[in-house]
Amino acid sequence: MTQRKRLSNTQSRRQSGSLVVQEEDDDTTFTQPSTSQVQRGLEKLTPAQVDQKTAEVVQYFLVKDQKKIPVRRADLVKHVVKEYRNIYPEIIKRAARTFDQVFGLKLVEIDPKSHMYILINKLEAAEGASPINSPTNPKMGLLFVILSVIFMKGGVVRENLIWNTLKKLRVDPGEKHEEFGDVKKVVTDEFVRQRYLEYARIPHTEPIEHEFRWGQRAELEVSKAKILEFMGQLHEQDPQTWSQQYREAHSVPNSSQPSTSSQR
Amino acid sequence: MKRARGGGDEEAPRQNGSAGRRKGDQQQSDGDDGAGAFGPADLQDDDNDPGLRREIRSKYRDLINSVQQNREDMLSPSNNKLTEVLEEANKLFKDVRQAREAALDAQLLVVATDLGKEKASQLFAEGTAFDPTAYAEHLLSFMGLNRLEDGEDDQQNGGAVDGYLPQDAWHRVARRAECCFRTSPSFHYMMGSFHAEPPPPKQRIERQRKAPSKEAKRMMPTQLKKMESSHQEATEKEVERILGYLKSYYQDDPTSPISYFEFVIDPSSFSRTVENIFHMSFLIRDGLARMYLDNDKLPCIAPVEEGEVEAGGSCSRKQCIVAISPKIWKELIEAFDIRDTMIHPPSTQNE
Repeated sequence: MTQRKRLSNTQSRRQSGSLVVQEEDDDTTFTQPSTSQVQRGLEKLTPAQVDQKTAEVVQYFLVKDQKKIPVRRADLVKHVVKEYRNIYPEIIKRAARTFDQVFGLKLVEIDPKSHMYILINKLEAAEGASPINSPTNPKMGLLFVILSVIFMKGGVVRENLIWNTLKKLRVDPGEKHEEFGDVKKVVTDEFVRQRYLEYARIPHTEPIEHEFRWGQRAELEVSKAKILEFMGQLHEQDPQTWSQQYREAHSVPNSSQPSTSSQR
Repeated sequence: MKRARGGGDEEAPRQNGSAGRRKGDQQQSDGDDGAGAFGPADLQDDDNDPGLRREIRSKYRDLINSVQQNREDMLSPSNNKLTEVLEEANKLFKDVRQAREAALDAQLLVVATDLGKEKASQLFAEGTAFDPTAYAEHLLSFMGLNRLEDGEDDQQNGGAVDGYLPQDAWHRVARRAECCFRTSPSFHYMMGSFHAEPPPPKQRIERQRKAPSKEAKRMMPTQLKKMESSHQEATEKEVERILGYLKSYYQDDPTSPISYFEFVIDPSSFSRTVENIFHMSFLIRDGLARMYLDNDKLPCIAPVEEGEVEAGGSCSRKQCIVAISPKIWKELIEAFDIRDTMIHPPSTQNE
């Protein structure tokens, strides 16, 4: 520990000065080091050290990903990167490459402002049901229903629509559900923290009402085209009958912007 | 009134429907004073009547509540409920005189226009509209809902709980939804520590193996001792028992010799015969019985009198080995026609 401190103390003054401060401070004090700083930092470390730190970052992400809650850059720096923060961009770059080549996962920064990362699958899901008989998580079913309603309704719905639809499916936010427990908490807290949903207050409503939108993770992970396909199967209709949604689903792959021009 | 209704009818497609209503009202109140049949005296009375004021406010609140509670109902393109609400509001507005009621009217307007906006978006949507209720119904079927065929049950439960969902209902949905998600598979350690370290588990196994074996060894000596002692006791007891038999037979008839073979052989069990021979040999070794050949050169046995023991001890000690096989045993049984054993097996079994 002391050895490494000496190493980083030879870095720029900003680093050594902020080492003590940064223990308590948040991401606000971490500024992305410049390329030249990164270069200088790399020169002072052995490749083995950098690889080790990269591996630690990868491991941290993989474990954090279990709960599907995005990883904050501040936490990553504070708990894992620590004194290697001067070469942070290089470490992240290598970690992303590891995820890509070894695990088939994509490391995505879903929020450039608050610097949050998530992991998504690079590979498309297999056609039909997965051949691997892994246990299904019923919460995903619940999430899927909510996301599909929001999508089919144009991207924004008032919360009451969701609650009423769920009630018809025997899921009452007011009661404890067999499978999901506190439904309201799962939907408005867990799914929101995982960035699958956005739950925003509608101004000027009395009593207070909220509306649901797709979250950043949903935009990246969920295929609108496939939802539409499922709709078609369920209603025994051609997906193209929902022309607006069809356009949106097929216009730009995995884009967060709704399409404005009609492309078929 | 007519102008107002005209404004209300056009509410759905145009946002300015409400404005039209406003204008209509203003025109009405500004214009034909006589047509409304309101004299100045009447106006003042209505203004000050608190009961009427409260009534108007309560009616407004009812309207607002009904719009909020039955939102989806009103949204359905199949009815004109929104228009009816607006007509109702129009009627109420005629009596509005004070700011409080006007504020409620404004609130109702906000709620109604919001609803109107959504109805408008429904109209402008190309293609098929999406009905969440129908979606829910289809989903229930997909989840495997077993609908009760009894119509009565439906009515009793209010239609909300007809049929029951199978346990894996939501799992089915999740399974179907899997292919729509590009979720990264969750990472979990397969077993134990990430840094697999073989040595500690092996040591534990070795220690465990050693411990039982030690105990086993410790166990065995005590067991053997026990066996030996029991063996000895059993043998001694048996020998004494056989001596008892010998003496009793001899006492019954001291003159007639007891044939050795007849004495030891148990026609029903070869092993018992061997045991008897074994026990007999102890008696002879200890000088408690003697064996001699009779006139036919067949071995006979007889107990030794107590006085004779020491006398016969030193000089006439002879050794011989008795051998017997099942074949010989059977031949002996036939030859001597031994039907019954003279030494009865012990009643209690040691082993």
